[in-house]
Amino acid sequence: MFFLSLIEHTLCLPPHLLNLPLDEAIKGELETLFLDKVIPNLGLCISIYDIRDIKDGFIYPGDGASTYTVQFRLVMFRPFVGEIIVGKLKSSDANGLKLSISFFDDIHIPVHLLPNPSSLMPNPENKHQGVWSWEFQDEQYPIDGKDEIRFRVHSISYPPIPIEQEKEAKPFAPMVITGSLDYDGLGPISWWV
Amino acid sequence: MKIVQANAGALTNFEVLDFLRSRGASTDPTRVIAPVAPSEFKVYDYLVQSAVCNQTRESINEFLKRCEKYDLANAEKLNIINIRPSSLVEIDPIIEECEKRMKSEDVEELVEMVVQVLPEHPASVGIERGTDVDKISPDQELMEAN
Repeated sequence: MFFLSLIEHTLCLPPHLLNLPLDEAIKGELETLFLDKVIPNLGLCISIYDIRDIKDGFIYPGDGASTYTVQFRLVMFRPFVGEIIVGKLKSSDANGLKLSISFFDDIHIPVHLLPNPSSLMPNPENKHQGVWSWEFQDEQYPIDGKDEIRFRVHSISYPPIPIEQEKEAKPFAPMVITGSLDYDGLGPISWWV
Repeated sequence: MKIVQANAGALTNFEVLDFLRSRGASTDPTRVIAPVAPSEFKVYDYLVQSAVCNQTRESINEFLKRCEKYDLANAEKLNIINIRPSSLVEIDPIIEECEKRMKSEDVEELVEMVVQVLPEHPASVGIERGTDVDKISPDQELMEAN
């Protein structure tokens, strides 16, 4: 689920941080810049693992801040295709399921990757939502939100940032994981234990 | 920003949990003083209630030593350490082409070895497990006695 990535970045250290020891100040700046942000094709940055190298502390003319070139390692959340992850159900509707692990919410299970055959029982109150259930050997196994769901990662995509968005559209998701439940051992844990 | 090396090594969930713990993350109310960001706390909370919260470095090393004879890919070993499957049906999606690469006795041996070497998830102590009824590991016995 997690990988280390070695990154090199040139960063500007504002003068109000000059009283701190250098590595603390740089770590603080890097955290503000990278923590909880998505880097395309690398994943979601969880944490700064360590700082390997700091060099070039020079000052540009006319500027009060010093500029450093820092090499550091980041803990990135980037599941590989085929990894099995356990998550909780966030919502389910006619397009499929949405799952979340507490720090990452954009996990989508589309209809064609649900266990086959599945059927949707629409919710009488809200026609966009419903409960999916799996038919196996003449029994119905509903996917309700009671226990955690095990899914396999099918693909990860990093949609490009849209130039314009309509007012009512859902907030932009920079990293979307598509998962699949279509295999033995996947789905709510209570089905298999 | 320049990416020098996109993949400088995979980390098991346990290693990330250990790293966050060494920075001061914990589940009790002293967490607000620790130098750990709220987003890192969410990761910590997720890892603490998953199967890795009781693991130790020694148990992972022991597992890696013992699973060498099964010729598993690195990704499969990582998946097993993170999920800790305790039955045949749980290990099936993890190992690709399970029937072709390993005979069913080998798979059962592997499942038993996983249950013995990697510690139990604390929430699942009360749940019955069909394959493990005959061989109960010391961890399970202790917890069931409590």
